[in-house]
Amino acid sequence: MKEKSKIVSILEKILESLKKRDYLDIKNLSNQIIEIASIQQDIDLVFLSVIIYSLSKIMERKIFRKSKEGKKFYKNYIIGIKNLIKDINNDEIKNFRKEISLMIKNLESVSKDIKNYIQDVFVKAKINRASKIYEVGISLEKTAKILGISIWELTEYVGQTKIPDVNLSITLPIKERIKIAEEIFS
Amino acid sequence: MKYLIFDSGPLINFAMNGLLNTLVRLKKHFNGEFLITEEIKNEIIDVPSTIKKYELEALQIKKLFDEKIITYPNISEKQFQEFRNLKEEIMNKANTTFYNNNKNIHLIDKGESSVLALYLILKNSSVIVIDERTTRVLCENPKNLKKILEKKLNIEISVREKNLEYFKKFKIIRSSELAYIAYKKGLIDLESEKLLEALLYGLKYRGCSISEEEIEEIKKSS
Repeated sequence: MKEKSKIVSILEKILESLKKRDYLDIKNLSNQIIEIASIQQDIDLVFLSVIIYSLSKIMERKIFRKSKEGKKFYKNYIIGIKNLIKDINNDEIKNFRKEISLMIKNLESVSKDIKNYIQDVFVKAKINRASKIYEVGISLEKTAKILGISIWELTEYVGQTKIPDVNLSITLPIKERIKIAEEIFS
Repeated sequence: MKYLIFDSGPLINFAMNGLLNTLVRLKKHFNGEFLITEEIKNEIIDVPSTIKKYELEALQIKKLFDEKIITYPNISEKQFQEFRNLKEEIMNKANTTFYNNNKNIHLIDKGESSVLALYLILKNSSVIVIDERTTRVLCENPKNLKKILEKKLNIEISVREKNLEYFKKFKIIRSSELAYIAYKKGLIDLESEKLLEALLYGLKYRGCSISEEEIEEIKKSS
């Protein structure tokens, strides 16, 4: 795995932020993972970012956090991140992948009451992470493929963002573009 | 013969906005063909047909395909071979144009490169309709794409300058300009002072990469 020292450093910061219950910071840190993943287009890192983002969204819920199940969930979350750090440091990519799969399984093994919510968070986290990759400058189709989501879902989501309003997105005067359209229809 | 070559985004966007009938009317006013590639058909019909949430829109687009409102290009075997080679060439060039620490940044995929390849086959008589930002910026102002990548990734991006020339030849519009043409030709079944604004924002919020500033300019020029 390239950039392993950066990833380890981010995961260590996530552990610190977890202790402080600073979920906003965890989301920001998961953005840093997705930025590295965008360059490498490394599926493991993409899913790591999805998991970190999902877990922080789930842990944000005070009622869940204080429940017995939430406490167990939190404990597994910490163990999972510590194991990931160990796997990266030891270049154990297979174990790293296994740990990611285990963390996804843990997400799915919650009680019925919260299962739908968690599944929903996970799906939305995938789309949210995808929009971050698109924002970086990777095409919509390529991004959808990396995350294994449909272009339809991603199109709908990025439409709600401010990505097109960035000045750098404007590449031709509007009059010129309209002229192209008028000419082809003339 | 003229050609409009569609990426998946504008067709998805028209479908989600309930504007596919407008596309049918536009086709009647167009002296040419509305084209898609196999890769795009897969994205707009085959894949969404398996997703319950988008099945209805996929069926509606399929109807347009069955009625030949949107079609595959009628090209010779030789042109098809050339098209296949160009697809690979474009993807290769696009995905090796920007790099950091000798690592190429892969920007586009098969569907987008198929659209650009078809344009090169049909040459000057065609225009590409694409809503997503990356391919458009790569073609029209790749320096902006470098800036976007650098700004968002906080790293220095290097550019293979010789590749940039290759992407300068494409003419591009978006679903927003198509809707503008439909509006000007009176092809939309609604009457309101706010119709143009509603159309453009409808398309923007469902994925057309157009800024509010551009929308305001279109409104002024109408």
